[in-house]
Amino acid sequence: MDDLTREFLLESQEGLDRMERCLTDLETRPGDAELIAEIFRSVHTIKGTTGFLGFSRLEALSHTGENLLGLLREGELTVSPSIISGLLALLDRLRGILRAIEETGGEGDGAHDDSAMIAQLKALQEPSAVAAESALEEVAVAAAPAASPGKRRRPGRRSHSPSQGASLPELPEEAGPPRDDEGSPRAPEARPNAAASMEETDPRPARPTKEPPPAQETPAASATADSTLRVDVELLNRMMNLVGELVLTRNQILQATSADASFSLLGRRLDMVTADLRESVMKARMQPVSYVFSRFPRLVRDLSLSLNKRVRLDMEGQETELDKSLLEAIRDPLTHSIRNAIDHGIESAEARLAAGKPAEGVVRLRACHEGSHVIVEVHDDGAGMRIERIREKAVERGLIAAQRAEQMNEREILQLIFLPGFSTAAAVTSVSGRGVGMDVVRTNVEKIGGKVEVESRAGKGTILRLRIPLTLAIIPALIVRSRGQNFALPQSSLTELVHLSTGQSDSRMEWLENAALYRLRGHLLPLVFLDRLLQQAPRDASAPCDIAILNADGRRFGLVIDGLADPEEIVVKPLAAVLREIGYYAGATILGNGEMALILNPGAIAQHANVGFTGEFEQSQADVRQAGQRDYLIVATEGRRAALPLETVVRIERIPQSRIERAGSRPVLRFEGTLLPLDDAAGFLAGSASNPDAQTTVVVCRDGGRQVGMTVSEVLDVSAGSSLSEAGTGAVADGITLLQEHVTGVVQLSDIPPLDAAVPSAAREEDLR
Amino acid sequence: MKEVSAGRTEEVCSVRVGETLYGIPIAHVLEILGKPATQPVPLAPYFVGGLVHYRGEVLTAVSLRRLLGMEAARAPEDVLVFETPEGLFGLFVDSVGEVLHVSAADHEPNPTTLDARRQALFAGAWKLKDRLLVSLEPERLEPMRLAGAFPA
Repeated sequence: MDDLTREFLLESQEGLDRMERCLTDLETRPGDAELIAEIFRSVHTIKGTTGFLGFSRLEALSHTGENLLGLLREGELTVSPSIISGLLALLDRLRGILRAIEETGGEGDGAHDDSAMIAQLKALQEPSAVAAESALEEVAVAAAPAASPGKRRRPGRRSHSPSQGASLPELPEEAGPPRDDEGSPRAPEARPNAAASMEETDPRPARPTKEPPPAQETPAASATADSTLRVDVELLNRMMNLVGELVLTRNQILQATSADASFSLLGRRLDMVTADLRESVMKARMQPVSYVFSRFPRLVRDLSLSLNKRVRLDMEGQETELDKSLLEAIRDPLTHSIRNAIDHGIESAEARLAAGKPAEGVVRLRACHEGSHVIVEVHDDGAGMRIERIREKAVERGLIAAQRAEQMNEREILQLIFLPGFSTAAAVTSVSGRGVGMDVVRTNVEKIGGKVEVESRAGKGTILRLRIPLTLAIIPALIVRSRGQNFALPQSSLTELVHLSTGQSDSRMEWLENAALYRLRGHLLPLVFLDRLLQQAPRDASAPCDIAILNADGRRFGLVIDGLADPEEIVVKPLAAVLREIGYYAGATILGNGEMALILNPGAIAQHANVGFTGEFEQSQADVRQAGQRDYLIVATEGRRAALPLETVVRIERIPQSRIERAGSRPVLRFEGTLLPLDDAAGFLAGSASNPDAQTTVVVCRDGGRQVGMTVSEVLDVSAGSSLSEAGTGAVADGITLLQEHVTGVVQLSDIPPLDAAVPSAAREEDLR
Repeated sequence: MKEVSAGRTEEVCSVRVGETLYGIPIAHVLEILGKPATQPVPLAPYFVGGLVHYRGEVLTAVSLRRLLGMEAARAPEDVLVFETPEGLFGLFVDSVGEVLHVSAADHEPNPTTLDARRQALFAGAWKLKDRLLVSLEPERLEPMRLAGAFPA
């Protein structure tokens, strides 16, 4: 294929994407001249180029479409649902031909089908056809999805039907930006058109506009074209690899030159440039989620029409960016989730009214950042899932034993929808309900290191939450050691770490025949020994070890390892097929020090070790976790409950009190070669100083750049807490949180004073590192 | 740069494993890594010597010693990097020697008395002046193919 054709394909596909967005928008704002002009331009561009390249089918089709759009633009026809449907059909046909050109170089045959479509489009140009439709218009407009808030410009209200007000929520924060757009250079072009249509009231025959559209069309399009450049994804991947290589070389140079003072400045400069470069390349691979979201208004429109439901689509956070390859990977799972929400979730208008809900259902698509993840939520306000129904279905389909089903709690039951072969739709529709679905959604999301969560309330609706890592290429991981070898554990499945010192390791593990267990805050947790799993040389049973408590999609277990190295952001490298077959490894990586490490796959390990789904293990999951909540570690100090934000907790250690030393009057703890200021919240040191053998629990926390320790009498639980706001003012109260229905004080780590000058400065520097 | 004989000649990279000298056409050799750091892979098929770091990628390297049932090397090994349609892979050898010019006329097929495993791995041998140079073809050493041909 020559460059010209390739360029034409890319441009046309973009034009058609734009056209699709505009068409669905047009349904809610049928009088918007600017939208019509935009659609006209897309079709006109295709027509213009296609004649030049000699694609006759494309030319004939786009020519007819252009005629129809010309009439709309002139105001001689008004937008009706049948016109929009006709134009959407045209769009699909054009896309099909573009695909054929891309694959075969030719337009494919089907020209005779085209003539039927051309006839249909011509029929739509008759004003009488439109008149007959206008009665239907109102319903269809109401059923149409709302425009994506914040993304597309929203013109002043050109209300066409009374129900439109309901489909366009005029939230104050959304009202701001669109008004600014009114003054943008795009707005004036709409006005002359509108004015023109008012002046030229004499109905002209359906003549196509031969002359090119107004000259204003170009500036907006070419402005982006001038400042952007299409880059092959392959090239970006290669750049990413080279940057990874550069990072390693930098590390080696820094090590080699550390002794030489004259090099250290150069080294630091190299360090900075490399970090910047890495960030830029990663940034280049990012695309806003709107890239994927933009196709959903059309999907929702078509689905709601075919299912005869009234559904509005709200989209939020479209500017959230995600790695290109991840975006591609979530496209199908999201499409499927939205289908499900409309087909299974949203009820028919009558059923909704009977249930006291507005007739129009809402599907809300929301994307936001949360730490190193992007959360994409598909939220419907439909019927929700009935737990009993899922339980029955799963037993009926033989997915689980009846006895087992009886013992499962609500959360565990909800997880059953992800099993292959599960579907509860009473009737199998063409849209969904064939039982291939949620398991595919889950598999696809997990394949890219993400997670799927589901929450549902009967009668209220369902939230499906996809938790996607920011980039595929780089994940936060904890490096652990087993028999002298490095392994990387993805932080996403790591919930906590337990250290067992010499002697503790055999006494604190319990055995039920040959199954090892660890009692974690009163609950038994199955243990998997990494050295045995990987058939490495067995280690001494009484040697100190660490237990990494992992949660792999609801399977909780402890992985016993020899020790911990540092947490590190790792670049995931794929493994050869022959090693992927082993199953336990998700890839390999090159660490900062140049060593390599295999990345463990906790899900596969849990599966192999037959770790069951433990759903409700510690926290009562019944209270649905809302966005904005944080996880807290609940501890007891002198009989009081206190909470520590979980993300600040580095380590929980049980140590003999004799290890606590004093620097001046302050208690300090030597921890991994650094000196921690210690907050004696439990008041141990004052009371039982006479007993140096007594054990103390110390929670090591990160507070900005430093680490601090806190003595506690007991670690109670981990739970999600929500912020509390003051009655009346609504101000969020600082320092307290609502945890398991108790108001709990949050420890302010910054209140722990830094070690003063009495401590040698060398120790301080270590501390900061 | 020796051993030039009559007829079509080929440049081969000579490598040593144990007492045997092997030759691989240099056109197939992408790069030679001198004693790189390696990472063993627990539970990997027996013929996988480990992972090596190659230009930002993690390369699976086959160990010729393990493949031939020889004891593990005592010293760090060199790695040859090959490219096949299935992707890149490495081959651990004791050491890499010089490039030799061999003539097609000096090539002989595998002797029928050779054991079945070596029959499948070797592509005959070249007769050098004073010894034999066993011919290796990278495609026969590709890990996926080995997994199929020589399961544990």
